[in-house]
Amino acid sequence: MSSSKRSTIIVEQLRKQQMLEALSRGKRLDGRDYDLYRNLEIEVGIIDKASGSAKVKLGNTEVIAGVKVETGEPFEGLENKGALIMSAEVLPTASPHVEPGPPDEDAIELSRVVDRGIRESEMLDLDKLALIPGKTVYTVFVDCSIINSDGNLLDATSYAVVAALLTSKFPVYEIQEDKVVNTGKTMPPPITTIPISITAVKIGESVLIDPTTEEEACMDARITMTTQSDGSIVAVQKGFTGPFSINQIVEFSEIARIKGEEIRSKIKELNSG
Amino acid sequence: MYSLKELTLLDENGIRSDGRGINDLRSIKITVGVVKNADGSAFIEFGKNKIIVAVYGPREVHPKHMALPDRCVLRCRYHMSPFSTDTRKNPAPSRREVEISKVMRESLEPSLILSDYPRAVIDVFVEVLQADGGSRCAGINAASVALADAGINMRDLVSACAAGRIADNIVLDVNDLEDKEGDADMPVAYMPNLEQVTLLQLDGKLTTTQFNECLNKAITGCKAVYEIQKDALMKKYFGNEMELKEEA
Amino acid sequence: MQEIKRRYVIPGDKIIEGNYKPLMNVVKSGNYLISTRVGIAEAGKDGVKVIPLSGVYIPRVNDLVIGKVIDRSSLSWDVDINACFLAHLPAQDVFGRDFSPAKDDMGRQLGIGDLIIARIVSFDRTRDPMLTVQDKDLGKIPYGEFIKISPTRVPRLIGKRGSMIQTIEQATQTRVIIGQNGIVVVTGRDPEGLSLAAKAIRLVEEESHTTNLTQRVKTLLNVQDPEDQEQSEAVEASSSSASGGGIQEPEPPQASAESTPQTTSSQPQPEPPQASAESTPQTTSSQPQPEPPQASAESTPQTTSSQPQPEPPQASAESSQTTSNSVKTSSSTKEKHKIENSEKSSNSNSNDDQKEKKQE
Repeated sequence: MSSSKRSTIIVEQLRKQQMLEALSRGKRLDGRDYDLYRNLEIEVGIIDKASGSAKVKLGNTEVIAGVKVETGEPFEGLENKGALIMSAEVLPTASPHVEPGPPDEDAIELSRVVDRGIRESEMLDLDKLALIPGKTVYTVFVDCSIINSDGNLLDATSYAVVAALLTSKFPVYEIQEDKVVNTGKTMPPPITTIPISITAVKIGESVLIDPTTEEEACMDARITMTTQSDGSIVAVQKGFTGPFSINQIVEFSEIARIKGEEIRSKIKELNSG
Repeated sequence: MYSLKELTLLDENGIRSDGRGINDLRSIKITVGVVKNADGSAFIEFGKNKIIVAVYGPREVHPKHMALPDRCVLRCRYHMSPFSTDTRKNPAPSRREVEISKVMRESLEPSLILSDYPRAVIDVFVEVLQADGGSRCAGINAASVALADAGINMRDLVSACAAGRIADNIVLDVNDLEDKEGDADMPVAYMPNLEQVTLLQLDGKLTTTQFNECLNKAITGCKAVYEIQKDALMKKYFGNEMELKEEA
Repeated sequence: MQEIKRRYVIPGDKIIEGNYKPLMNVVKSGNYLISTRVGIAEAGKDGVKVIPLSGVYIPRVNDLVIGKVIDRSSLSWDVDINACFLAHLPAQDVFGRDFSPAKDDMGRQLGIGDLIIARIVSFDRTRDPMLTVQDKDLGKIPYGEFIKISPTRVPRLIGKRGSMIQTIEQATQTRVIIGQNGIVVVTGRDPEGLSLAAKAIRLVEEESHTTNLTQRVKTLLNVQDPEDQEQSEAVEASSSSASGGGIQEPEPPQASAESTPQTTSSQPQPEPPQASAESTPQTTSSQPQPEPPQASAESTPQTTSSQPQPEPPQASAESSQTTSNSVKTSSSTKEKHKIENSEKSSNSNSNDDQKEKKQE
């Protein structure tokens, strides 16, 4: 069941006024321009026990993603493809407003939107991850833990997933006498493209990318657009109760492409380093 | 097979599988104040364990009927991230996690002056990012530091460390392999200033003599851990200045 | 008590052995006094205490707090005061005794998200904090820079006799409203002054355990420092009202009276803080002014004061009834006397600082 409860976070009225006043001058409360990202730090390989891992700090938002590669049965209808399974949990450490327990609708939307960008871009070439077609395939788990939350969990999580996958080393499984054997060797994952999501919120008529918690608490609407390396759009999610004009959407798609490329080149550096 | 096991866990020179001697702790590092939104927090690296702890409170209890009229409720959640173990862990809480949450809470509670905060709750969230044997001890160490960081009134810190048995040897700070292949594992938590034990568990067989040796060894480990906890707190609050400079 | 050296402690640290009285954040265990907090241990007037450096705000009767209205029922507002409990502001407190939920529209007075400065009128182990805005200078805060600091740093930010905050206000031409709960609102005309004041407040928060802090704040603010003005340096305002221990039983009247200067005013001085901010020339001297420089301020809504503030007009109209001119309370002679006493008791600290400064 979905109910339209307001955000549990109430922004101080005087902060909200200041925000609106700043927006009328084309500025945000933290001094950023509308299309400027917060400081983005990515650290990879932090979990030795995972095949790949990354910690992303986007402003004060902090997310860890870990990749685990095992073998299992393929999904129905996708017998010749490896299986990709994503999850995200907003840990109760993340803010005073998070209750421990099974993911709520926001957390589920979060992991599904991130999943969609990876899956639809075919970032991982799942065709290369089948072992015995129809019977045994690689199962790639990507799990995300949101440790601290200060807005735009969607993009921070998405970058953590992309960085963890990109820098991961998959174990090499072989079939010996009808049995799956871990050879102890590793291989780079079959990567075809790098999907990057860009999220913005609309407050009044202003469209701000990479929103903070405070901005999200004042938003009328939210939009996330994921582009892949060649610039084409692979996933979109419009969220929250307010509408966007067609013009705003078209303009945003251009911003998503340009900003996406900026972030993509930053993430690409991880592998060359 | 038995001799092979002995050989891997402890060689004839008394060197363990990870290169330590029988009285050595793994390397430990604690950082205080790592979760921006929390009232108190700490990150501990204990061998390969990587655990983050956030404390919220004292704060209002939800649901309200859980509140106690004369003291604060302490809640503790020990949880492992799916990528923290060798094979992926299902994110839903397991029975093991529920038990560890309980014994952790009970090991921390004696150190806290909960009667100072009636009708409120203190939440301790322990997230294991990577597990390497002894994660409950490492979690307790970080949790106690995080509680001090949150400014909860406490009588003492709680320091935890395990000791165990490999064949006839009692060893300090049992790692993952030793936990699985060794003969006994005994996690202990201890309040070093008050000299009181707040957690005691044992998995495996010990003679009475071995039990005493094991307990004493674990306490020695707790005292060593305490110094690291103390340094971490001092560093966060007073920088490198360990002494308050004052002119006579 | 002289043998107790001021020092940094963590929970469980033995401060001293012997028959001393445990005060704030100190408990007795066997023959030892031990600290319950991370902080600075020192000898108090008649015992041993620890000035804490972390912890959430624990409400105390008579404290001035800045709270955020987060909900309302038909008879009261729920106010988030950054503490372990929500506070309540009864509608009767704002509308008067003949308040009627049917007749009066509560939304016209306070809305969700509004900030108020209020006094805690009651709170104990069994009841949630109850607020009042029925006093001069209490009520809605319509505009200003919002800053959250650790409640344990509030006494340090105020300083001895309000010295620290006064320094900041004067140098930056701002007015600083401080809630004991760690919420601070800064107002002023000049955006640069505002941001400088915010910087200074952050500096105090981060380095409040260190000595010589006033000096560093002055350096940041570029304040000339005549030697004789520097009286106020100490690691902590001596009768700290910062969260000492847990939720206390109701205190005897004397005890609460003693804490009044700390808890009821950011500047326990005869002049309101706002005056010092808006009329700098008169207050540059460190002498307390016997007369509020802006006599009219008390009866005049803030927005019509001689130096208009840059707030949106509609907010000012709304707030003129409830908004205070300052967080000032009357300082009776008796209170003043106490402040002086408390200052004397900490003179040794000031001297230490003086010496240290000279060494530099």
